[in-house]
Amino acid sequence: MPSEIITLQLGQCGNQIGFEFWKRLCLEHGISPSGVLEDFATDGMDRKDVFFYQADDDHYIPRAVLLDLEPRVINTIMGSAYSKLYNPENVYLSKHGGGAGNNWASGYSQGDKLQEEVFDIIDREADGSDSLEGFILCHSIAGGTGSGMGSFIMERLADRYPKKLIQTFSVFPNQDEISDVVVQPYNSMLTLRRLTSAADSVVVLDNTALNRIACDRLHIQNPSFSQINNLVSTIMSVSTTTLRYPSYMNNNLIGLMAPLIPTPQLHFLMTGYTPLTSDSDVNSQQTVNVRKTTVLDVMRRLLQPKNMMVSTGPDKTNHHCYISILNIIQGEVDPTQVHKSLQRIRDRKMAQFIPWGPTSIQVALSRSSPYVQSNHRVSGLMLANHTSICSLFERALNQYDKLRKRGAFLDQFRREDIFKDDLTELDESRETVDCLVQEYEAATRPEYLQFSVKRASGDSKTDEAKALAGGGV
Amino acid sequence: MSQPMPLGSQDQLVLQNTALADILSDLCIVIQGRRTPDEHEGTLVRANHHISSNLTLPICERECVQRIVSKLNTGSHPDDNESPGDLFLKVYRKLLAVKIDSNLRHSLMCFLLTLADKSMELKSINGTGAGGDNLKHTLGIRNPSSSTHSINGSTSSHSSRQNGSVGIYSYDATQSSVGFGRQPLPDYMTNMKAQKNLEATQDIVMNAIYSFTGVQGKYLKKDVVSGRFKLDPVNAKTLSPVQAGMLLRLSELGYYHDRVAKFADVTTGFNAMGCMGQAFISKLKEELMEFHGQVAVLHDELTKFRDNQLRQHIEKDRSWMEKTEPGALGEVTLLKLLAWYVTPLHRMQWLTKIADTCQLRKGGELASAVFNYLDNGNSMVNELASSLLTAICGPLVRMISKWMLEGGICDSYGEFFVESLNEVGADRLWHDKFRLRVNMMPKFITLELADKILKTGKSINFLREICEMTELVRGREELKELMNNNVSHIFSYVQDTNWHAAVETCYQQTSKHVLDIMVGPHKLLDHLHGMRRYLLLGQGDFVSILIENMKDELERKGTDIYAHDLSAMLDAALRCTNAQYDDPEILNHLDVVVQTPFPGDCGWDIISLQYIVQGPLATMLEPTMPTYKALFKPLWRMKHMEFVLSMKIWKEQMGNSKILRMMNPEIGKASYRLHLFTSEIMHFIHQMQYYVLFEVIECNWVELQKKMVQATALDDILEAHEKFLKTITVGCFVNTMTDMERHLETVYENIIGLENWQSAFYKECFKELDARKALAKKVMESEASGQFGLTADEIFERDHERKQFDERVSIACRGLDDIAIAYEKAVSGFLLALNSNNDPNLQLFGTRLDFNEYYKKRDTNLSKPLTFEHMRMSSVFSTSNKLSHSSRFVIHPQASKE
Repeated sequence: MPSEIITLQLGQCGNQIGFEFWKRLCLEHGISPSGVLEDFATDGMDRKDVFFYQADDDHYIPRAVLLDLEPRVINTIMGSAYSKLYNPENVYLSKHGGGAGNNWASGYSQGDKLQEEVFDIIDREADGSDSLEGFILCHSIAGGTGSGMGSFIMERLADRYPKKLIQTFSVFPNQDEISDVVVQPYNSMLTLRRLTSAADSVVVLDNTALNRIACDRLHIQNPSFSQINNLVSTIMSVSTTTLRYPSYMNNNLIGLMAPLIPTPQLHFLMTGYTPLTSDSDVNSQQTVNVRKTTVLDVMRRLLQPKNMMVSTGPDKTNHHCYISILNIIQGEVDPTQVHKSLQRIRDRKMAQFIPWGPTSIQVALSRSSPYVQSNHRVSGLMLANHTSICSLFERALNQYDKLRKRGAFLDQFRREDIFKDDLTELDESRETVDCLVQEYEAATRPEYLQFSVKRASGDSKTDEAKALAGGGV
Repeated sequence: MSQPMPLGSQDQLVLQNTALADILSDLCIVIQGRRTPDEHEGTLVRANHHISSNLTLPICERECVQRIVSKLNTGSHPDDNESPGDLFLKVYRKLLAVKIDSNLRHSLMCFLLTLADKSMELKSINGTGAGGDNLKHTLGIRNPSSSTHSINGSTSSHSSRQNGSVGIYSYDATQSSVGFGRQPLPDYMTNMKAQKNLEATQDIVMNAIYSFTGVQGKYLKKDVVSGRFKLDPVNAKTLSPVQAGMLLRLSELGYYHDRVAKFADVTTGFNAMGCMGQAFISKLKEELMEFHGQVAVLHDELTKFRDNQLRQHIEKDRSWMEKTEPGALGEVTLLKLLAWYVTPLHRMQWLTKIADTCQLRKGGELASAVFNYLDNGNSMVNELASSLLTAICGPLVRMISKWMLEGGICDSYGEFFVESLNEVGADRLWHDKFRLRVNMMPKFITLELADKILKTGKSINFLREICEMTELVRGREELKELMNNNVSHIFSYVQDTNWHAAVETCYQQTSKHVLDIMVGPHKLLDHLHGMRRYLLLGQGDFVSILIENMKDELERKGTDIYAHDLSAMLDAALRCTNAQYDDPEILNHLDVVVQTPFPGDCGWDIISLQYIVQGPLATMLEPTMPTYKALFKPLWRMKHMEFVLSMKIWKEQMGNSKILRMMNPEIGKASYRLHLFTSEIMHFIHQMQYYVLFEVIECNWVELQKKMVQATALDDILEAHEKFLKTITVGCFVNTMTDMERHLETVYENIIGLENWQSAFYKECFKELDARKALAKKVMESEASGQFGLTADEIFERDHERKQFDERVSIACRGLDDIAIAYEKAVSGFLLALNSNNDPNLQLFGTRLDFNEYYKKRDTNLSKPLTFEHMRMSSVFSTSNKLSHSSRFVIHPQASKE
């Protein structure tokens, strides 16, 4: 089947959000937890082949690969009503089951060891599709399995499938609370490097912002994982809605991503969603958050930082700007309204755009699932490439620098193969992320076009390349 | 033959007593009805004459009585309770009681019989139409004068006898007696002369009457040239000037009669033509016939009068006092004719006038010509025109009803305002086969109504021939009856008659029927939707899969492409996208066609999608197919560009940037430029696509759908559909012949240029990369084998190759610059064209393309207000400005050497 996308779920977090994602997709497509199409969902307005395939008995199987080094989350999934949904061959649990111990290096080297088995699954899944478009990776960057093994798999995927897109939904750790994972800064830094170099696009899901949104917008004190994951699954499902409910444009992943990502480096996307409702709102029939929603309202709210699912911190110099925006609008939309809204946004200068190239707000109108009721007429998801994302990386850099200066907690890393000799891997990662931050900063300025020249001349970290270029000199 | 009687002999014969006179007067009253006293007396006097004249009586007394009775009974007065015949018999019995000579009684009865005959005749004349009325009226006016004269004469002659008699009319008698004394006895010779004169006068009158019907006579001859009557130069000498004048005046009627007769004669060639013309001519003939009837009556009068004259002529000596004996009729004189001829003349004049305008006209034109006379204030003219128009419209109405109810055209003279083109085939039945003949449209049929009539018949034809349905219109017979029998409704001023209602009903029923058929069994709306989705690329996933499936074919040379390969790919694309849920009937219409390739064409240029429609749908949609074809091309091209940009250029960049990362120092700048340039083009193409697919097609499609739901007739849908296509044709920049199209083409060309450039560039890069890897491997190998280093030659060669590569990269950069410059020029031109366009939608599209005012800042032209001067100058400036602006992509050669 065409333009298929294979979803890889890695680690505790990845499997949790993946689980929510599939739950959501099943709901939207009218597929029962056991994969059978519900009676009411046979009218065929949607396109299920992208994410599902049909078994011989016509029940739908997700194109998903579940990987973890410890059995807890996967066992929960397999114990749930959705256990029959997945292809059991696609669920891979490490045999020793010890997990990665929140250690990137452990995850990475275990990925190396298990790669044959893992890629057996992935290859089989890829062979089973007519024209595979790419992979979606769900993971967190802070833990061990998702970050470490995820990094390894990303690198291998990029090698093995150079023509396929790799998109990730990467969960960034919550900065507001003290993490129980002390090496989180190291993990983040090492994963970020792979996200920069190996992935084609990264949708950043910032736990900090998600928690804040859950508290502020949904009025949930101490939001639970499932509530946060509900938000995440909404974003994931809506961002793929144009693939699943095709209309005239943006019907494949590449069409969705290509206009958003101007250069291979600047591929970290923020998301925003409005209007937000939580499950409890719907269940208790509270009308707290039901507001008037028009296209303009939705598009205006999407541009407000408080609705962004990434906490970028205050932009003191106010120089950050949008590189590109894609708004996916769902619901009853009068086509002419879209036009007016865009005009209004432009006239009021509600958004600041890059000065070095043409850009605009793209709008994709999408149908929404007829099986999921919403109490809002219009809802919208924004996928944006915004330069302020670099503050997230800066924060990660700071935390890393603090830890690295003290040389703390490095022992467990040295135990793994990759750090056996030295810790250059860590330093190189830092360098890559630093470059990324610089590039994002440069992208706020009109001289961005000359940026590469400067970096190339001022950058000394091209040893590898030089070694190759210089040959035996 | 009776010999003249001496005056004195009367005394013994007539009315020896008053009893007899009383009875006689009673009898007269019974026969004639009550009259004025002197009229009555006149009758009595005439009775006296009659009795005394001693004529040979043709029938016996008994028969006379019977005839009188039967006559009286046939013309009985309805208000009498006793039939006049009975009354007469009663009085007759009284007469029998009086002892008089049986011969006298016999002659008296004969007189009464003639009297009864006369009165019956008068009554019957009374009963004729307008002309007769007029005739009687005219004669009636003349009667008293002539009869007075005659009565005077007779009274004067008889008063001596009646002098002593005292009766109901005594006052008259005294009066007469007074006159008697004064008047001298008439001169015999003068009377003779007058008699002769009378003969001549009758001749003249006869001539006049002849002339009424265009017959020449003794005095009146026709002018060969003008056709008017003129006086015969020889015979006219005998006429008095007054008579001559009157004759000439009367002859005018003859002239008009001739004209009308000419118009009514098909052989002359001066008539109206066609069926409706025939109807007109026959109506003219009818008018002439009526006129001839009236003239015949006149003629009859004259003849009767002459007969009497003849009779009197024989009794010459008494004729001087009896010349006006048939007083009830009166003499037909020229004066009377003058009085009479006014009305017919008027009518004939108008007929001539109308017929003249109708000359050589036919059909609706004819009807319009006559319709113009309907506005006349004269009720006669109005009525005349209306009756003519009714006659004319008879065939038209039948044609309309045949057309609207059976779909047939029976129009051998080309006068119906609906025309069927025989040479047009059934496949174009709906759009081209039938059309309105505008010049054949009567004035009183509005264009709207005519259009409805046209559509109704067309629909019937369509149903019958294309859909092969034989079902007839509901209530056809009643409608037909209604339409054919209300001819005069067609030209009513207010269109609310039964006829109009019937037409409307018929129209609505038929068009609803067609609409139901098309929308129902033939799925017109579904097909339109299908075309929108597949030909106008509304089904995005299908199109992208199709392109993906066919990408090898699309890039192949045109001559190497075979349609059968493609249809399999089309089927595959249909099967694996959402199109699979579509109605298979719709999908069956979809086909991929390969045009004959021109040299240099690749698959993209010659492969296109086609929607094949058959049967009734083809009739409806065939004319729009070229538009779809024309629309498909730019849309397809746009998809091509998107495909090239994202699937090839962008995807390659993303993949290769990972692989070539280590070569960043050398190719970094070039690839950076490449990325940014790509993203710029990407933005343009996506916005363009969004504009065309969403704002143009989708928005108009929503409009169209609304209209399709509201449509009451098939033509509503087709019209809306045509409008939809027209709007999006403009919106998609098809055949606009503007700069925009040209600039757009340049943009597209640059995209292809970029693709070629990029593949060449990456080829170079990979070559270099491979060489480096090979070298590194060699170094590794030599390291492993313990022989360190490379030979100087190898190093030299490597360095040389590197330098060459650097040079090639910088050359490539220049190539990229060229592309970028050309691209930016085209985009600026395109934006300028958009901004200066009058269409607000295009202006807004312009602002959309430049949402963050990037181009505006770079090109001062774009920010200038749209003044006239700006428009004039922009073409001058844009060329000079652009060169300086376009330098932003130029890479400094020094930097690249580093």
